[in-house]
Amino acid sequence: MNSIPHIQPPKFFLRFFRWFCDPAIMEDIEGDLTEMFARDIDSGNITKAKIQFSVRILGLFRPGIIKKIGRPSLSNHSSPMFKNYFITSVRSLVRSAGFSTINIVGLAVGLATFSLIAFYVYSELSYDRYHVKADRIFRIVENLRTENEELFQSTSSPPMGPRFLKDFPEVENYVRLQQWSLLAQRNDISSYEPETYIADSTVFDIFSFNLVKGDKKTALREPFSIVLTESMAKKYFGNEEPVGQTLKMDYDNYKVTGVMEDVPENSHFRFSNLISFSTWSRNNKDYEDRAWFWNGFHTYVLLHEGASVENVRSKMKDFIKRNVKEAGMYYEDLPLQPLSSIYMAAPRSWENGTRGSMNNIYILSIIAVFILLIACFNYINLATARASRRLKEVGLRKTLGALRRMLIAQFLGESLIITIVASILAVGLVWISLPYFRGLVESQLSFSVLPNVWYVAGVMIGLVLFIGLLAGAYPAYIISQFQPVQIFRSSTKGIFGHNGMRKVLVSIQFIISIMLVAGTLLVYDQLDVVRNQDLGFTKKGVIVVPTNGDTAIVNYLDAVKNELKRIPGVVQASGSTSTPGQSAGNNYTEIEMTDGKMSPTNINFIYADHDFLSTYEIKLIAGRNFQRDVKSDDTTAYLINETAIKDFGWTPEQALGKKVRGRQGGKIIGVMKDFNYRSLHTKVEPLMVAMTTYVGRMSIRLEGTDLPTTIANVKTKWNELIPYLPFDYSFVDVEFDRQYKADQQLGKVAGVFTGLSMFIGCLGLLGLTAFVVERRTKEIGIRKVLGASIPSVVLLITREFIWLIVIALAIATPLTWYFISRWEQNFILQAVINPLRFVMAGTVVFLIAWLTISVLSIRAANANPTKSLRME
Amino acid sequence: MNRHQLGEFEEIVMLTVGILYKEAYGVAIIDEIEARQNRKVSIGALQTVLRRLEDKGYLTSEFGEATNVRGGKRKRYFSLTSLGSRILRETQEQRVEMFNAIPRMAFPKS
Repeated sequence: MNSIPHIQPPKFFLRFFRWFCDPAIMEDIEGDLTEMFARDIDSGNITKAKIQFSVRILGLFRPGIIKKIGRPSLSNHSSPMFKNYFITSVRSLVRSAGFSTINIVGLAVGLATFSLIAFYVYSELSYDRYHVKADRIFRIVENLRTENEELFQSTSSPPMGPRFLKDFPEVENYVRLQQWSLLAQRNDISSYEPETYIADSTVFDIFSFNLVKGDKKTALREPFSIVLTESMAKKYFGNEEPVGQTLKMDYDNYKVTGVMEDVPENSHFRFSNLISFSTWSRNNKDYEDRAWFWNGFHTYVLLHEGASVENVRSKMKDFIKRNVKEAGMYYEDLPLQPLSSIYMAAPRSWENGTRGSMNNIYILSIIAVFILLIACFNYINLATARASRRLKEVGLRKTLGALRRMLIAQFLGESLIITIVASILAVGLVWISLPYFRGLVESQLSFSVLPNVWYVAGVMIGLVLFIGLLAGAYPAYIISQFQPVQIFRSSTKGIFGHNGMRKVLVSIQFIISIMLVAGTLLVYDQLDVVRNQDLGFTKKGVIVVPTNGDTAIVNYLDAVKNELKRIPGVVQASGSTSTPGQSAGNNYTEIEMTDGKMSPTNINFIYADHDFLSTYEIKLIAGRNFQRDVKSDDTTAYLINETAIKDFGWTPEQALGKKVRGRQGGKIIGVMKDFNYRSLHTKVEPLMVAMTTYVGRMSIRLEGTDLPTTIANVKTKWNELIPYLPFDYSFVDVEFDRQYKADQQLGKVAGVFTGLSMFIGCLGLLGLTAFVVERRTKEIGIRKVLGASIPSVVLLITREFIWLIVIALAIATPLTWYFISRWEQNFILQAVINPLRFVMAGTVVFLIAWLTISVLSIRAANANPTKSLRME
Repeated sequence: MNRHQLGEFEEIVMLTVGILYKEAYGVAIIDEIEARQNRKVSIGALQTVLRRLEDKGYLTSEFGEATNVRGGKRKRYFSLTSLGSRILRETQEQRVEMFNAIPRMAFPKS
């Protein structure tokens, strides 16, 4: 029988059993359990034995086995006793309605904010997890080493996916995607669809996108097939059946082969339609097979079930060596990003879709917890402060034989009642504020993101219980500690001996408030710096209109520009492939080095016309701009930026005349002063500008005070010249600043929640002051009789709080300093942290706190002493 | 007599305690019922019933020896009290009486 003595039954369940079981019958039942467990072990299956052991214990958790709560002698009275607890609790809540309201409102606002932020955080963290195969999908990204730098790109080249499938037995499938922006036209609707993607037909096998109509095997097989999302189908086809019809996109007619559900909100990239990959590859077979360094695609691979990504990773070096010929540059590594991590990962270049920020998630979570803490502290403060009110009740109960744990249960119950009422109110608040919150965080926050209702409800109930216990534990402990004799003593000093704890809690509240206020101010400082920084080009007053390479514009570019320039208020116009603030494509280019050798590199390119520099007021520090009278400029002239020549180790003058072999052979004719063509999150990267006839976007610089009129005039002219192209303009500065969207959001959200936390904190302060004033009514009366002035009485009450604020300021400053300077590391340009901001934050918090306190203390100070002294 | 109505499971447990005579402790009772009745008995259900029957005074119990396999915990042996055995007998008699009262025609011929 004693063959396997070492296997122990699950500890946790055993401990649980010992905890709940009636001690009178515990020994033999435990013996039975041990015996049965030993027998199960002997029969072989250890796991099964452990599970059965646990199941048995759970089965024992039932009345009759569970030990009786309270002393057995009292057990018969427990139910009326609880009824009595409940009644006295409710009575005391109703009697001090003011304090109860403060507690309930504070907790409700705290819980509501907490839930809203938790909802947002959850939805941010849920990105891409809805795909059934999410844990097996990885994105191939590239660490590309050129002679001068290492590039971290989110994109990969077209042969990558097929070769992965061939070489790695772990890979089950792949899909390549590339974003296009096309002008869709049908009947009289014409509109840009910038969220168009070409995709391999495997896209539906890998991702869990739901095809409503059409066959997912064939939908994206033929060239010029298109699958629309439901909303895009509705936009162009209304109530017609779209499948089988054609849709004109740019210059081609596409056949609609399917309709799919809209891409869920929580996807790291979203699209309005998918175009078959063959539409592109049909004419680019050579590129598709061999362009190992043309990184135009986002490639996702699906691994076989049970295959390990580490296996694939370990063979990567070999894979690269075997497949990719070095061509002056090589792949350092091809990391595989797990699908669900992409949204929060540090962005690489050429990311598809928007990215979240883990930083913001942390900051928001901290704020949420802070707000909840402030609300709990309010409760603790008020409950302990007002404990004296309950002295008689507690004393009486104790004299009649109440045990300490019964009193603790009573007061915990009381805090639970308050929390439950508060949570009901909080649900209402969340309901009302959800639409505003959605606007604030600029996210749809649909409920479909959440897991099933019971899970959410369970978590909510858990939270409410936790908060109730957290807030109630300390007051219950303090109150149940009272000795009945103390009630009859004349001095109540001993009872308020725990004042220290209250001071600590109030200071923590102040610390949190000051940190939030100062933090918000500093976030805005940083955003101001970023927004007002001289980017090296003019973004104010420049509007951009997409043209997508329209042939009329390409052929008559100068004529169109001249027509536009004749409108008053229009200063300059220029066509280019891309504009600052947009991702500029990078191209394989060879550049002549100082020793005369041609060095290959991958460099960012903007293709533009003669007026690009003058439209954006980009300065040249050497050489010349493109010139109309030098015909060869059209094909052989290159401009390069400062960063690039520093990388190559040239002076601006040395750069001029260096040979370039890119799309066409040519020479460098000018060096541009650096301008931030991307956000200040990243450094300026090397850039070249060459001429093009392809106009993807038209930039128009306006001046004058009446921009709306000028824009209206431009629009009229535009519609006259090119009536079929929508004048779908946007401001460059707005578009550029959109790159700071996440940061701006953080500022806004932090601002709102700072306000809320101040509000809750003030509620608590108001309650505390009311209590202090009430307790010192007689003292104030006597002081006044003896000739104290009103200000001195007010000071008497406020003095304590002022000290707390000073201490809080001293603690909050270094903390905030630390956190903000860490946050600012996100930017290459950091605002200097202004110490004045802390003074401001301290003053703001002080003023608000002081106002809160004063309202009551001034009233107390003004009260007629005869009234307060006549009470007895 | 109504006050002493036994539940079905209670009755079976009491019968088993009787059958096992001096060997009626938790695991043995479970084994016996499972063997005779071909049904699963959970320790939770059994222990609750045992305690209930003891409270009612139908069963009594005493600790036995401690064995190694039980982690040093003693067994608790149950036995029928005189009240318990009377109730049990009455219940059985009641059943038989009722069974005998069924008119013969009520049984379908087989």
